[in-house]
Amino acid sequence: MASDAPQATGDFLPSEDGEPVNAVEAAKVVQSPPPEQPKSIWTRRSIIFSFWAIVVCFGLPLWIRTTTVYRADLPLRLMQQWADGLTCQFEVPLHVVVEAPGVSPTVAERLAQTLEEYYNEQNFFPIHRLRVTLSDLPQYDDSLQSPGSDRTSLAGASSNTVLTVRLKPSESESTALSRLDPYEAVLDVYYSPQHLETTRTAESHTRWPFSDTIVGEIQKVFAEEQATLAHLFINSGSPVKIDHLDEILYPQRKEKLARRATRSFKYAPVYHLTFSLFTPAATPSAWEIKAALDEYLEPLLRSFTTISNFTIDTQIQLFASFSPSIHGPLYNAESRLWTLQKTDLSGFINAAEWPLSPSIGEGPTINFILYVPGERGTPLVIAETGGTSWLIPQWGGVQILNLERDSGDRSMLTEADLKQVVFTFADQLTSLLGLPTSPASHALRISSLTRSHTISLILSASSTLGSLARLTQKLPQISIPDTVAESVDMTIHHLESACNGLKAGEFNRALEHARTAEAEAEKAFFEPSMVGQVYFPDEHKVAVYLPLLGPVAVPLIMAVIKEVRAWRAARRKGG
Amino acid sequence: MLLSSLLTLPAAVLAQTYTEHLHLSPLAQTSHLLAAFNFTSTTPLPAYESGHFTHFPRSLAQILQHTKTRELHLRFAWGRWDDEQWGPRPRMGRREGGTGVEIWAWLDGQDGGGVEERWSGLVNGLSGLFCASLNFIDSTRTTHPVLSFSPEGTHADEVRGLESLHGTLPHEVVCTENLTPFLKLLPCKGKAGISSLLDGHKVFDANWQTMSIDVRPICPGGSTGGECVLEIQQTVDVVLDVERSMRARGDPIPRPRPIEELECDGGKVYNGGDTCYPKVKEGEMGWSLSRIFGTPVRGNCHLADGHADPDITLEVPLDRIVNVTNAQPLDLGNGQSMRSYRLPDHPPGQYTDLALPQQSLNQAVVQPQPPLYATRTITGSGQQHGGMHARLHNPHPYAQTITYFESLPWFLRPYIHTLRVRNSETHEDVKLEKMFYTPAKDRERGTHLELMFTVPAKGEVELSYDFEKAVLRYTEYPPDANRGFDVAPAVIRILPNNTNGEGAASSQHLGEGQGSYIRTTSLLLPLPTPDFSMPYNVIILTSTVIALGFGSIFNLLTRRFVLAEEVPVSKLALRIKAIVGVARGVVGRLKGAKAVEMGGDAVGSGKGDGVGNGAG
Repeated sequence: MASDAPQATGDFLPSEDGEPVNAVEAAKVVQSPPPEQPKSIWTRRSIIFSFWAIVVCFGLPLWIRTTTVYRADLPLRLMQQWADGLTCQFEVPLHVVVEAPGVSPTVAERLAQTLEEYYNEQNFFPIHRLRVTLSDLPQYDDSLQSPGSDRTSLAGASSNTVLTVRLKPSESESTALSRLDPYEAVLDVYYSPQHLETTRTAESHTRWPFSDTIVGEIQKVFAEEQATLAHLFINSGSPVKIDHLDEILYPQRKEKLARRATRSFKYAPVYHLTFSLFTPAATPSAWEIKAALDEYLEPLLRSFTTISNFTIDTQIQLFASFSPSIHGPLYNAESRLWTLQKTDLSGFINAAEWPLSPSIGEGPTINFILYVPGERGTPLVIAETGGTSWLIPQWGGVQILNLERDSGDRSMLTEADLKQVVFTFADQLTSLLGLPTSPASHALRISSLTRSHTISLILSASSTLGSLARLTQKLPQISIPDTVAESVDMTIHHLESACNGLKAGEFNRALEHARTAEAEAEKAFFEPSMVGQVYFPDEHKVAVYLPLLGPVAVPLIMAVIKEVRAWRAARRKGG
Repeated sequence: MLLSSLLTLPAAVLAQTYTEHLHLSPLAQTSHLLAAFNFTSTTPLPAYESGHFTHFPRSLAQILQHTKTRELHLRFAWGRWDDEQWGPRPRMGRREGGTGVEIWAWLDGQDGGGVEERWSGLVNGLSGLFCASLNFIDSTRTTHPVLSFSPEGTHADEVRGLESLHGTLPHEVVCTENLTPFLKLLPCKGKAGISSLLDGHKVFDANWQTMSIDVRPICPGGSTGGECVLEIQQTVDVVLDVERSMRARGDPIPRPRPIEELECDGGKVYNGGDTCYPKVKEGEMGWSLSRIFGTPVRGNCHLADGHADPDITLEVPLDRIVNVTNAQPLDLGNGQSMRSYRLPDHPPGQYTDLALPQQSLNQAVVQPQPPLYATRTITGSGQQHGGMHARLHNPHPYAQTITYFESLPWFLRPYIHTLRVRNSETHEDVKLEKMFYTPAKDRERGTHLELMFTVPAKGEVELSYDFEKAVLRYTEYPPDANRGFDVAPAVIRILPNNTNGEGAASSQHLGEGQGSYIRTTSLLLPLPTPDFSMPYNVIILTSTVIALGFGSIFNLLTRRFVLAEEVPVSKLALRIKAIVGVARGVVGRLKGAKAVEMGGDAVGSGKGDGVGNGAG
């Protein structure tokens, strides 16, 4: 065959001595074209080369340029590190200030020293570290003893102070007594002179029982917070190792924390509170809700200002009917009560008809519903418990207000009527916001909530970063606009600040940074322009242009193959 | 007109109030009934601003607060008001909108601008609230009218900081899903009082219907003194065909009545039993609320605010008999033909009905004439050019100053140099007193055209201009592109006599300064519509042509030219020829065998053919 035969001048010419295919063919081969000029071979090859050069140098870059999606550079490794929890070593220093007016400076100093020593020695929880300092107020100031000066003494403590331990002398008690202030972060410890005396006799290597007692009290204060944080770390899959986990997070407490977590809202910087009055009749058509809220709810909301802000709106909805999916109240003739079955509570809110749409703007809406049954349906209670209020997890609270039947004017609910109602709502609000139930001091609970929110925000922003990193690696076709890269940089920057803020004990600042980091991370992950590009694969692009590329590519490639063959044959012959 | 006086009713009341009112008036000489529902509620402005909404709908209030909307007017309309038969429009046309959805509002633009963004927030919020496509009102459908609308509420000195924006969606089909959220905004939610009559089946079966929501602040002591209130007025106006509405509910499908039930004119001569000349109706039709709306009025919606306003008014001649069940007639003492009723307070949950039997009246009621007749049409033919032609006819013996407002989509490009406003009879140009024109920008904003001129007494003015139709981009066509594109109705405002634009704007009182409104019907604009498979065809075709051209040029450049005899035979061709030859041989042999069997002589020639072809 022709391919086996060496070719004369390199072209389509079967050789003379090639074996003819058959007789007819052999008879037909009469002439062969003259050998081609080297110049024309060179011309042809340069033509083919220039075509290819245009395709490679111009066409291909153009194609790549016009069909690539823009991918901004992301610090993928750093993002993954954040997600793995390698960058931020969580550490929460607890600044405790000891205020010991009337105690000699040496004793007070030693007390502070032993407190820090004993606590950190007994502490299983690696994240909490106690730092005890002495109040820099003059120690022997008699004016501080007067009860009126309590508040001013607090002002002396720096804003980073978590807890103030205030020593107060008491004569009668033989054992040291302590009491948490219900509003301020102050632990009052009552001591008798003999408690302090112990220290004078004892040497530094023996333990001081008085100090031990106070450490025990402080541990009680932070026990719930430790459990909350431990729960948080476990649930977020964070690599933080916690020894003695079972002691901190025993099953009963774990269950309680899990229940709290399912009930409470996800953290948001702004919550919208909506108070609605629903009634199946035309009355009451007015309520003094503004006055009642200002009086009974406002102080609570003010205490939350470092964590979240609140907007309030109220409305009255008349002629509100139950949804058809529930059985409705049943009349219990014995107790002369209308009763709601427990199974009906979940369907009590008639979502289709009651206008409880979420508020506009960032942040979730918490609904509080006051239901005043009509005159015929009064009194209405829950069948099993006889209660009148319940909580709907991550949504809000409901309360039934049974008005006296013979009360003459039903058209208006006064502030006095609403007092108890608002108290119940306030209670429901604290549990919807995830406020811990202990310790007894409200200020401590708030600051504990600040810390746990900060850590949970850092964890969630980090894991969002990790998801984004994995997503961009998995989908090479996805476009990454510059805004995403900016958001990621912002997130990392704020995460670092939050982490440092935690370490420095500046919890409010840390929360602010963590909040921004979370918002930026969400913004980066849910960038709308990234989503549209997901399903635009390379195959699609090729398929659209195949009618053009196919017919153009075939002659180009064939020409090259032919030339290469000819060139090879020529070389073999020459060699 | 008596109806117009209804507009000023709620302005007198203050603070936390709610009134509702239904006005019924049969339209003279037709079998149509106009039912005008009005629900007005006010709330003190400070309470509203601090979020204590009481009866003001919270969902709407939040949108308004979020977007800093100071005054809102929202309209849903469907159908055509028949000027010639039905007379002037209810509420002087101030509570009606153009076909589809129309919205205009005054937004606070003082603190740092961003009005466009707030407007977009407003329409998007309302879109969700009313289940309408209001979110499609983007910058191309938004205009800033100057003359045609003026604020109805009291706005302090901030009027300068307020911006008026206007948007229309003529394509929107108004239906039940818009009425349901509308009713939810009412304190009684359509469960008690006159709103219990509002049922989607009836409202949207009407010949003409319009729903409106108007929110405005009112300060009775002027903008500075007195306690301000925020008023929300919701109205539903429907023109019902009495006969059609009263047909049995059990048989909702319209089908021809059996011949026995038809009322035929016995005075005519009939050739067969299957023909019928309809009998001319005599006197007034009998009707009742419960038969027209399918239900009587249920209970009342008096919110214990001490008002004793009538709930229902009925405008029929005095000698018409009215049977009232469970309602208390009020004597207003002002109208000869107006009767007022208040729904009973005790016991609650009663049903109230009004029934008017069929009756022949001695004197026919004369329907008053509308302030102006207006028609607007698209002229011209072809895909590229067209013209707009509007006729405004003044039936009254006095001249009327009007403003004419058009907001045109950007793909309709008017040639303003061709704009002619002429008197139809004298063919003289009418002097334009004012003109505001904002040219369109492709894909950014539409045309805004506002004219102010006077229509002479008993005269007619023609307005015309030419326009060019733009070619849209492939993706800009809607799914039903061949239907055409809706052009929003023109809004004609008849200024109150002896005032000009500034006078109207400065006068705050609703009754005085607003004048009355008329809207033309919306138009359908056919645009050049491409074949939507075109891009793929173009890709394939151009690719093929380019590939062909490239292939031949490339071959010309790289092929070597030799004599035909010198062309070497390629291996492939040789092999194919060999295969074909073998195949022919086999076929020939088979044929030969057959021929032998049949005893034919064609054997030789068959064989010869096979060989010859194989060699060739």
